[in-house]
Amino acid sequence: MIDRKKVKKALRDFWYGKPHGERRLGEILEDKTGLYKHREWRGVKDTSYYFWNIWCYNYFQMVMDIMKNGGPIVFAKGLWRYRWVGQTYLPVLHWFDRGLQGLRGEAMKASAWHYRAMVATTIRQFQRMFVCDAKINGGKINEQHEHTIAINETVWGGIFYPWDGKLVSVPMEMIPYFVTCHVNSHTVLNYIDAVQSIGLPGDPCPMCQAESGLFVLDDMPDYAKAMVTCNEACDASVATSILQDWFFDKPLFALPMPMQFDDPLVKENCMKEIEQCWRFIEQQYGIPFNWEKLKEKIEQQNELQRFEWEKWDVAAHTNNYPINGVAQALYRIYQTQYGDWEIWHQVDKKVRKIMEKCVQKNINTFPQTRHRVIAWSCAPLYYSNWCTWAYNCWGLNVVINMDSLMFDMTIRTDTYDHALEDMATYHMWAPMRRMAVGGMNHIFELWENMEKFNCDMVAMYDQLQCKGMQGVHGLFEDEFRRRNINAFWLPHALPDCRTVSRAEIRNAINDYMTTVMHEEPLDPSLLDFDDSMTW
Amino acid sequence: MKKGGCSLGKMLLKLFLKLFGICFAAIAVLFTIFFFDLDGKLLFYVVEPFLKKHYDDMERKDVLKDLYDVDKYPKREF
Repeated sequence: MIDRKKVKKALRDFWYGKPHGERRLGEILEDKTGLYKHREWRGVKDTSYYFWNIWCYNYFQMVMDIMKNGGPIVFAKGLWRYRWVGQTYLPVLHWFDRGLQGLRGEAMKASAWHYRAMVATTIRQFQRMFVCDAKINGGKINEQHEHTIAINETVWGGIFYPWDGKLVSVPMEMIPYFVTCHVNSHTVLNYIDAVQSIGLPGDPCPMCQAESGLFVLDDMPDYAKAMVTCNEACDASVATSILQDWFFDKPLFALPMPMQFDDPLVKENCMKEIEQCWRFIEQQYGIPFNWEKLKEKIEQQNELQRFEWEKWDVAAHTNNYPINGVAQALYRIYQTQYGDWEIWHQVDKKVRKIMEKCVQKNINTFPQTRHRVIAWSCAPLYYSNWCTWAYNCWGLNVVINMDSLMFDMTIRTDTYDHALEDMATYHMWAPMRRMAVGGMNHIFELWENMEKFNCDMVAMYDQLQCKGMQGVHGLFEDEFRRRNINAFWLPHALPDCRTVSRAEIRNAINDYMTTVMHEEPLDPSLLDFDDSMTW
Repeated sequence: MKKGGCSLGKMLLKLFLKLFGICFAAIAVLFTIFFFDLDGKLLFYVVEPFLKKHYDDMERKDVLKDLYDVDKYPKREF
């Protein structure tokens, strides 16, 4: 006898996808590897969208990006020579899957567009590195090499706007290090181990270690004529710059981010340093500074910022914000560091359309939200998609995060002096400086942002090897108690998944949600699973 | 005349059905790869171990042998 109710339910689940509480997303994962026994069935409409417009579309666009930026032969040479390409960027669609798991409708679409922009920007950069690379071009220094400048990944790309179209700035570590950790967390471990193998201690920030390790393993393309380094707003990174100076061995300009950036005298000094950097570029490349170009590019960047403010407004005051925690965080930090580029505008246009639809139709984009969460301090790079898991498992919706809020400004272009002054501010508000190790006033901007974004919970990142943030752990604890704020600590070691595993991170949150909040999980299959070998 | 038109129509219909069949088969194959994460499995179990072995076996320059001079940039050998 056929149970009509069961058939009806099965048909409904097939057509619309299972409702949140019944999905059991942990059960579609293979043990340890985190690969999918099968990808998630999101209902006919959303699965079709995911298949065509995300999976097929992005594979296709990746091929097109490679064709547009140097071609497949250059890519093949780079892939064969550099571990960080081959080991990391081939499984990029799995990175999409991990970040977008459980999402439906407009949230899935808008978040995926953010990923698309990051992939395009990544391909653009590594292909430029390979086109210029003397190592894979038989020692030949070509024209492109002579028109490329290597920069530290936390030097804002906007510093080089005056030479737009004539000189390309490519961060040394953004693609070989930073993005790799998100896509395939195994790759970076080689570089951390490499730097320790030459006798350097293992306790400084593993980010600095990994970035130096790239050079120790001779895994950095020789793609530029000169370089601009900085202290990455973290003083352990000064040592990275020294090793980079030694092993990259190019004319170098150091453009540090000052510690006491609220001091007007420090700002004045920073403005002078930016001008010195511009003179260094003129001397090295023989291309004059172009104020009109700088103005034009800054105005385009300001346009991106104004849209970001609109997004924040929707995120803060409605339930219609269609971007999930990980897409918001990664897209924003990528965009603000890299600087203006056409792909950001294209993606913003598409996201605007989706967001306006959500607002007009009052679509609740994350309907299972139990808590609106703000994430503070620096996130685990190997588990940036923890917030996707947290929403699926506990209904924790990470509305906004610290990295998104750092560059909360437009830059004036009415006069040269105003532009320079604002650029200095932007430069000083670097990642890991303004709200991490930038002084008490700034790390405690958490409270006003919590209120601004209507959040009722804090996810406090606890980077175990960041000496700066470890120093303020107790102060936060005191403030959470004094203000009666629900907050959980999320321990991690930035890129190194061996120090604190993903499972330990999940356990910390599970413990908090059960013992402090006394809540039941939305999807119990996600409470405990082994993904120790996953990318 | 009529007969020729008819056979042309039949030919076009056949061509259309053939193209439709090929597209349908291609989509079915792609969807199977997508749904069962076969791309992920291929990369995880085959491509990545192969590439890792290649990178592990690569001969690498000992960068520590480079002199750390200030303002001197030696001619590089590749």
